[in-house]
Amino acid sequence: MDYGIEVRDQEAVIRLRGRLTFNDHAKLRALIGEMGQNKLKRQVLDLSSLEFVDSAGIGMLLIAREEMDRADKQFILRSAAGQVKRVLTVAQIAKIVPIED
Amino acid sequence: MTDGTIQGTTEEAMQATGCRTRFAGLLAPGLPADRLGRLALALRLPPVQAPAGPAPLAVLLAGDGSAVPDSDTLWLPPVAAWIEPPAGTGASDPTAQLAALVADAAASDLYLNLTTATAHDLQLGGRLLAALSARHPLEGDRRDDLELALHEAVSNALVHGNLGVAGMKELSAKELERFSRDLGDRLADPVLAGRRIVVTLRIDPAENGRPLATVEITDEGAGFTPGPRASSGASGRGLELIGSIVDGLAIEDGGRRIRLRFRL
Repeated sequence: MDYGIEVRDQEAVIRLRGRLTFNDHAKLRALIGEMGQNKLKRQVLDLSSLEFVDSAGIGMLLIAREEMDRADKQFILRSAAGQVKRVLTVAQIAKIVPIED
Repeated sequence: MTDGTIQGTTEEAMQATGCRTRFAGLLAPGLPADRLGRLALALRLPPVQAPAGPAPLAVLLAGDGSAVPDSDTLWLPPVAAWIEPPAGTGASDPTAQLAALVADAAASDLYLNLTTATAHDLQLGGRLLAALSARHPLEGDRRDDLELALHEAVSNALVHGNLGVAGMKELSAKELERFSRDLGDRLADPVLAGRRIVVTLRIDPAENGRPLATVEITDEGAGFTPGPRASSGASGRGLELIGSIVDGLAIEDGGRRIRLRFRL
């Protein structure tokens, strides 16, 4: 998995690319650090270029959400498609994290 | 139940003969030619330079990382087995050990036997799915779902089984850091990284025209007792996801083996 952060006026948009699995723990740690450091209140994860996510990947997204909560920031998942959208639905993640189209 | 009985009998008969796959050759892209020659002779399989033709081939993967095939073709037909040769520690003869693995492979339709060090970053779920799908085309959501089920089962065997890394319980960066550190430390431990993961896949004809795939994934870890998961942690969704996808799920050998069954 790779990611890029774009800081806009109202929100930071982090675009994830590739496959997010248990093997991406180091990248997720770095990403959580970067989201904490920028000043914006809204941290949006753009999932449109993410091709695959596993249960550990979902767990790491939930950790990111929790850390943003602690830092008093909003954490939003956006534009999930294909397998990623399917897994988020099956795992009922919308109950925990706001998901935008 | 007549069908079930007939199928059971057929299955037993096939298991009794022990042969589902008759290998026609041995590929070993990462091994020196003379070593491949010796192994091929001992295994009585002709060495092959590149996959060709319809007859099943077995690939030997060198465990030093140099020979992990980037090439997708090594994961597609006619290759039906992927084996990392035993290192030959201790008293037993590594060639005899390898011969035993090839015999196991012949009893399956697809077979994989690798160390954890080699397997952990190979995306085996996707590789297995590609190998399966090349034989029984799978598309769309079903393909995605089965890839996830295979990936989750393989990840569990490697991370929680062979490496003994506990799942992420609390939702915190600290817990993610702990997971990260444990995974790194244990992959660096030659004993744990040398533990094997074995995947066997069998495809049986079935009633209603849809073949039934049976996948068994075995690790060498401490095992576990399946139970209801705590609802709040970051880990623990894997088995549930698998259960929601496959037609049959069994945990055996004290949690060291998971068996998935699904219609193709």
